[in-house]
Amino acid sequence: MTETATRTDTINIYKVVKASLEEVIEESPLIRTLVLRPERPFTFRTGEFIELTLDGIGEAPFTPSSSPQVSDRLEITIMKTGYVTEKFHSLKPGTVLGLRGPFGRGYPVEKFLGKEILILGGGCGLAPIRSLLYALEHVSEHLKKVILCYGSKTPSDCIYKPLFARLNSLDKFEAYRTVDKPEPGWDESVGVATVLLEKTDINIKNSVAVVCGPPVMMKFGTLKLLEMGYSDDQIYLSMEKNMSCGVGKCGHCMMGDYFVCKDGPVFTYDEIKEIPDIWK
Amino acid sequence: MNEIYRISLEDWKHFTGTLSSSFNVYAPVEKNGFLDYTRISPENSGDIVYNRARPASPLKIFFLPVKLNVTVPPAEKKNNIIIGAPSCDVEGLKLLDLIYLDEKFFDGIYFERRMNTVLISSDCYETADSCHCVAYDVNPYSEKGCDINLSADNEYFYLHTCSEKGDRFINEHIAEHNIAHTVTSLPSSVLKRRNSATRTLINRTSKLPGNKETADRVKNEGHNAWYRYSSRCVSCGACSAICPTCTCFLLIDRPEFEKIKQLDTCQYPSFQRVAGGEDPLKELGSRFRNRYMCKFVWKPERFGTLACTGCGRCIDACIAGISKNELIMELA
Repeated sequence: MTETATRTDTINIYKVVKASLEEVIEESPLIRTLVLRPERPFTFRTGEFIELTLDGIGEAPFTPSSSPQVSDRLEITIMKTGYVTEKFHSLKPGTVLGLRGPFGRGYPVEKFLGKEILILGGGCGLAPIRSLLYALEHVSEHLKKVILCYGSKTPSDCIYKPLFARLNSLDKFEAYRTVDKPEPGWDESVGVATVLLEKTDINIKNSVAVVCGPPVMMKFGTLKLLEMGYSDDQIYLSMEKNMSCGVGKCGHCMMGDYFVCKDGPVFTYDEIKEIPDIWK
Repeated sequence: MNEIYRISLEDWKHFTGTLSSSFNVYAPVEKNGFLDYTRISPENSGDIVYNRARPASPLKIFFLPVKLNVTVPPAEKKNNIIIGAPSCDVEGLKLLDLIYLDEKFFDGIYFERRMNTVLISSDCYETADSCHCVAYDVNPYSEKGCDINLSADNEYFYLHTCSEKGDRFINEHIAEHNIAHTVTSLPSSVLKRRNSATRTLINRTSKLPGNKETADRVKNEGHNAWYRYSSRCVSCGACSAICPTCTCFLLIDRPEFEKIKQLDTCQYPSFQRVAGGEDPLKELGSRFRNRYMCKFVWKPERFGTLACTGCGRCIDACIAGISKNELIMELA
């Protein structure tokens, strides 16, 4: 250890910033969005994640689904899938939660400028993507085109329902949905998310693809994009793992020699393709 | 820095006893055949065991306790002095420093513990059967990384200062007693003991590949060895708990947004499991392999330092009798 290091005024990396729960939005039977007001402005870059603590219960990583341009209000979209997420779902407005972060490497929006952006999302994976879409909307004059392809199990599992009509009303944006199992009245696509990719009109050479969703969709989505002609370094993946400390120390999210919490969660396929079991 | 002081065995014994009034002093003491760090007082300073192979506990426990509240750390009243840390453990601190004193996410609690500790390592003249530091180019004596290194012959202890903190300690606590005298170099009696220990280790580890060759073997081993060896593993995590470089932990939430950091290991089931059920290390064999990849491939690649310093504790601690060295030799 170098003795020149005399840092004693450092921020405690394990301490939270408090945030009060303002509103709970029911997005689907399993997915809710918590609208939080942090006690001090909280800025993040799209795709970076935060650790959300329910006092005395537990902490879990989430990528905000709100606009990175907004710092006094943060939206976290959560799927009920385990102990802590179930507790998050039961919260009432007024509850005080804890935030740590933002952590990790998000979407390199600056590299997307001048390009056509193809986004493939599935299930709750639309949460980080919505934040990315806000960020892209902010710089849309510098983009060629943005196409969103989103898949969910059933029409009632589709989240952010008003988002699609809004995107389709915007210049340069197109948004498509598909479901595995349709319900009466569904007049959009049927099938897994990758079926939408076939319908897209995109100049792959001047494009990047972004994928975020459940592991099985990430895998087959990536394979489909490669088949379409995307190169490994044109595909951006959100490799959400068990990011526990968020600061590259606890080891729970290690993927090869990467700490997903510090080096990711957004990786190009090129960066991680050699690592075994990345889709697990 | 780089000064060598000589102090008589009797004076040193008395001195270490007196230190306990102003410091928490820890040093290896043998109890029921086990050598481990014990709190030192004037009463037991004569029981300290010097220059024998590693204490049962790795040095990391002083900086990364098994359980620690990291949001409200306990106020330490006294600074620590650790006497008798072996060089394998001192070498292991390099990796811990790189992880915990990372520029972007600086762990102030770890830093404070490091700064508030005077680390006095000591040469290993007697080695344990599982010791294999030399295989990874680590000598059984420290010349850097510690604050002071302690060598002994039949009459004297030799204190080699390896940091400014070590110099300060000597100036503030030893110089005034007029018990230590500088010498220009370590005597041949110490060098002989060092050489003898090194030779013993080299002979014992002659069939063990170095860290680079080990990394290649581990990387290239597909499936077989991990699943075969792990069939005996019971996922108890002892190998990680006693490893001087294993630092993974679990964050536990307590009311008032307090967080408790508790030592964890990739050898436990569900270490990487996420709420959705995915678990890259679900299989025992994949967890077993993960530890070897982490030690010999990933951590060295990432941090440019050793993640196994050859202390051999994991071999002694394994209740299933799995020998890491046997495994590595078999991977040839």
